[in-house]
Amino acid sequence: MRGRGISRGKASGNLIILEKPFSFLGGVDPKTGRLTVASGVEGKNIRNSIFAFPYGRGSTVGSYTLLQMKKEKTIPAAIINEKAETIVATGAVMAGVPMIDSIDLRMLCDGDEVVIDGEEGTLELPHVNEINVVTCILRHGGKILILKRSQKVSTNQGMWAGVSGYIEEGESPLQAANKEVSEETAITDFHLIKSGEALRVRSGSRLWCIHPFLFESSSPEVTIDWEHTDYRWIDPNDIDDATTVPGFRLVLRNLL
Amino acid sequence: MELLVALGKIYSAKELVPIGSAHLSGVSYKTIGDGGLDFLNEMSSDAKVSVRTTLNPAGMDLDRWSEMGVKPEFANKQRAIIGAYGRLGVETNCTCTPYLTGNAPKPGQNVAWAESSALSFVNSVLGARTNREGGPGALAAAIIGKTPLYGLHLDENRVPSVIIEADVNDEITDYSLLGHAVGQKVGMSVPYFKGIRPTVDGLKTMAAAMAATGSVALFHVEGITPGANKFDLNGLEKISIGKKEISRAKDSLTTGKDPDLIALGCPHLSETEVTDLASMLDGKKKRSDAPEVWFCTSRTVKTWCPKEVAVLERFGRVLCDTCMIVAPIEGIHSCTATNSAKACTYLPGLCSQKVVCDSSAHLLEAVF
Repeated sequence: MRGRGISRGKASGNLIILEKPFSFLGGVDPKTGRLTVASGVEGKNIRNSIFAFPYGRGSTVGSYTLLQMKKEKTIPAAIINEKAETIVATGAVMAGVPMIDSIDLRMLCDGDEVVIDGEEGTLELPHVNEINVVTCILRHGGKILILKRSQKVSTNQGMWAGVSGYIEEGESPLQAANKEVSEETAITDFHLIKSGEALRVRSGSRLWCIHPFLFESSSPEVTIDWEHTDYRWIDPNDIDDATTVPGFRLVLRNLL
Repeated sequence: MELLVALGKIYSAKELVPIGSAHLSGVSYKTIGDGGLDFLNEMSSDAKVSVRTTLNPAGMDLDRWSEMGVKPEFANKQRAIIGAYGRLGVETNCTCTPYLTGNAPKPGQNVAWAESSALSFVNSVLGARTNREGGPGALAAAIIGKTPLYGLHLDENRVPSVIIEADVNDEITDYSLLGHAVGQKVGMSVPYFKGIRPTVDGLKTMAAAMAATGSVALFHVEGITPGANKFDLNGLEKISIGKKEISRAKDSLTTGKDPDLIALGCPHLSETEVTDLASMLDGKKKRSDAPEVWFCTSRTVKTWCPKEVAVLERFGRVLCDTCMIVAPIEGIHSCTATNSAKACTYLPGLCSQKVVCDSSAHLLEAVF
């Protein structure tokens, strides 16, 4: 993942993620590195961790807290923010802690092993597999096609989804999309309306990279294969009535 | 300089602009520790500030520290920190409200201020321009007399981004709790308040609370703050905060009962507040079982009102240079009562205190 480099240096370690904005002053005991009650997750120790939180809040003394943690050897190995503000950035630069921002923290899980490069602004997740898939929305007469995933597929059994599948090695996302539509619906006459920017959805040790496509089908006739047990043409506004696979609403919002 | 350039780069600042003044946080030995002291000693060996620079509260009253229960080792380290700031050319009158006692930036003036409550006040109420500087960033700016031109130094970043429709009692604690609730809700935004008419003291406590739960560095109040009427508010998100939210915030901050310390003056008490408190207590008799009371203010305000200070001293201590947050009260006190939502936010984590949040009038009923 690419964010923005704030403070130079490379580091690796395990992630501790806070959902709420954080104040170094009062939020951590610099003598031990333990988070205090004010952090919302009392007791966790951020020493040598890769410490991620949305943004810094509160006291302007927070920069000094980082210096003190460096002296006490309780400082995190690196800091990740969604949006850096001056106080944490200043502390990170002075204490020489690698720091990056502009990272979507929803892509990360507590305990992830991560590698940070504060110069390049990059973050790697060596133990998380990025899996490239396509999700295709077929439209006919203003309605969209959703399909119910069978028990034979490897993920998200029983949930509703668009036409979807893995992008095989050597295949472009559009080639994969065309192939999956033909296989999963037997529709032959369809054409591309729009392709959206790839969306990322984190689920366990997998990071799904979804390439969304919108196709117009000239016919509502569908023949499903083993991957699905049912299909429906629905008004896109009724999507909330169905239990859909993770990220499906995002795909729809992206395309429609 | 390296730090300023690094910050400038992060925020894509094109240039450095001259500043009129600076205010520094990072003074208490409790909050900056030996790491901070080493840094300041190193800086003060060959640098001096080039603009007027004031200082935040320290960890103790520099004269009355032993009365506060502060240990001599702490006092020595604290004096060493003040000494280093003195060698840097910084005024060592330690207060978080320097804008009430002489260091008041002019409207439109670029400055580099730390102390989240003070910088929000000078941005919002005085119309000066500063980013939310960290202590060391403000010091670096004070030394070179310039700061990177980005963020709140630029007009386009000073426009409101959310409207707060507030309905609260015209009382200091309620403004503080309003700030608390808004900081939680809006985070880094620029709120525009409707429906309130706070005094300077109301604005001061609101700014402080908002910057403690959020990182609000600038806010506008309809009909009160400079230039508030010139903004186009069309299409902005609106958030309502009424008496229900205020009482919920108060309940959520209160974690203890039977306080052994009542501490007022976060931010430091103004001359008006000292006068009001003195008239509330004048003629009353102190109860024998009254808890300890601290009235935290600046040394300047203390010298301005000797009569009122004499009244307050019959019920507690009028302390200068410090406050309940940055003084090492953990281990000395266990439950602190205050009328400041900012103090309530920091007391549990920074001072290991249980907290009682209430108005000063209610809290002081325990002493007479």
